[in-house]
Amino acid sequence: MLKGVHQKLEPQESLAFFVRGPSPFSRMMFFCALSIVLMAVDARFNYLSQFRQTFIAALHPLEMLANAPSEWGMNIKNYLSSHNALLKENQALKLKEMEQQVLLQRLSTIESENTHLRSLLKGNAPIIPKAILGEIMHMGRDPFSNVIVINRGSNHGVSAGQAVVDADGVIGQVTRAYPFSSEVTLVTDKNLSIPIQIERNQLRAIAFGEGKSNTLDIPFLPTSVDIKVGDKLVTSGIDGIYPSGLAVATVTQIKQSPDAPFAKIISTPTAGVNSHSQLLILNMPQPETIHYTEEVSPTATKKAEKKQETKPSNVKAKPDASR
Amino acid sequence: MRHVELTTVITTLAIALIFQLYPWSGYGITLRPDFLLVVTLYWILRAPNMCNVGVAWLAGLIVDLSTGSLLGQHALGYAFTAFLGLLYQRRLVLFNKWQLSAYVLTLLTTERFIVLILKLFADNEAPHMSYFLPILTNLILWQIMVMIFGAPTRPKHK
Repeated sequence: MLKGVHQKLEPQESLAFFVRGPSPFSRMMFFCALSIVLMAVDARFNYLSQFRQTFIAALHPLEMLANAPSEWGMNIKNYLSSHNALLKENQALKLKEMEQQVLLQRLSTIESENTHLRSLLKGNAPIIPKAILGEIMHMGRDPFSNVIVINRGSNHGVSAGQAVVDADGVIGQVTRAYPFSSEVTLVTDKNLSIPIQIERNQLRAIAFGEGKSNTLDIPFLPTSVDIKVGDKLVTSGIDGIYPSGLAVATVTQIKQSPDAPFAKIISTPTAGVNSHSQLLILNMPQPETIHYTEEVSPTATKKAEKKQETKPSNVKAKPDASR
Repeated sequence: MRHVELTTVITTLAIALIFQLYPWSGYGITLRPDFLLVVTLYWILRAPNMCNVGVAWLAGLIVDLSTGSLLGQHALGYAFTAFLGLLYQRRLVLFNKWQLSAYVLTLLTTERFIVLILKLFADNEAPHMSYFLPILTNLILWQIMVMIFGAPTRPKHK
């Protein structure tokens, strides 16, 4: 009889006491392997950028939701800012504008003179980049990456590789463009280098970011090099990414030791990433106007010249930096 | 331990995701806890039938995408931490609150170290010591989760 009762019981599906599906260990092994494959693919190939872009675009509404409280806070603060303070600020800005207008008038005459002289010498007109105005959304979420996120993306015409500047100087370069936002790597990042020129004596060099210390390093210059503390570094414009003459950094420290072949030159960037939120994303026109093409195919140069003329000059570079 | 609804798990994970995406700045960015990690780990220890290693991996992948780091870096850290958590998950009922906190602290520290090692492999520079500060804020967030949803230990008999 007991046997009969036993036989009526339903057969057990799993021998395990707790039904949990695959064991945590096998799951862990599977997902770890998947992560390692993902990391290898992401580091070595370019297949995942599309996936990244799609995902970030899908995450955008949530991001807006997360940003909303701080935006409301800013709006309320703006609303409550006193009439008096605004008037004062307005006055100061008007004064500043007038000063700059005077300088700009000089600049435009110098620029036209420069173009004229260059055309006399059969040179090319200076390249004037197009620019998109953007705003910093937030610093990179990883506190140890020198990255900021801006609110302009591939839908606004931003693409990876473009230079980003603010009123004080070069900020960095767009490294990843998502549909509604893009990542800008700062010039102080270890992986970024920027061709520079010393404003005082036109000496060309390449500056590398130093990472955590928020400074730039100019390596491989001999100890006898003519650089002084306080020298301004500007972009040399030979890379086709940064237009020439934008302020990059100021030399703050020079270490010269007799036993080292190279001087250690440290400089701090002039752009105020932490103080401003507006910035310009520069779109350099493709360098089509190469001098020697004039003899080979005159039509190509003409086309390029036409393009140059249609480009509006909405970049107001600092007068002292735009030589 | 009270019964947990699936909707509670999903809602808390969504809230954690929003906090993760909040634009932190200044000190906030160095002290910011890993919201998704702590909430996922909590539900893994509390309700392993609803939240498993796969959920932790997905959470890590989202963190990777939002920080722009190498894809799979945090995912591996989260998945491995979730597995370590599950190793002792059945025995947690015997722990008192100090033992539980110590256990969670170990898990959170392990996660930080795994991600650090992967960061170093990915040719990034060694971060500042403040890299380990979020472990403490993570632990505080864990205590808040315990206060709201109860500890995964045996409730005290009165």
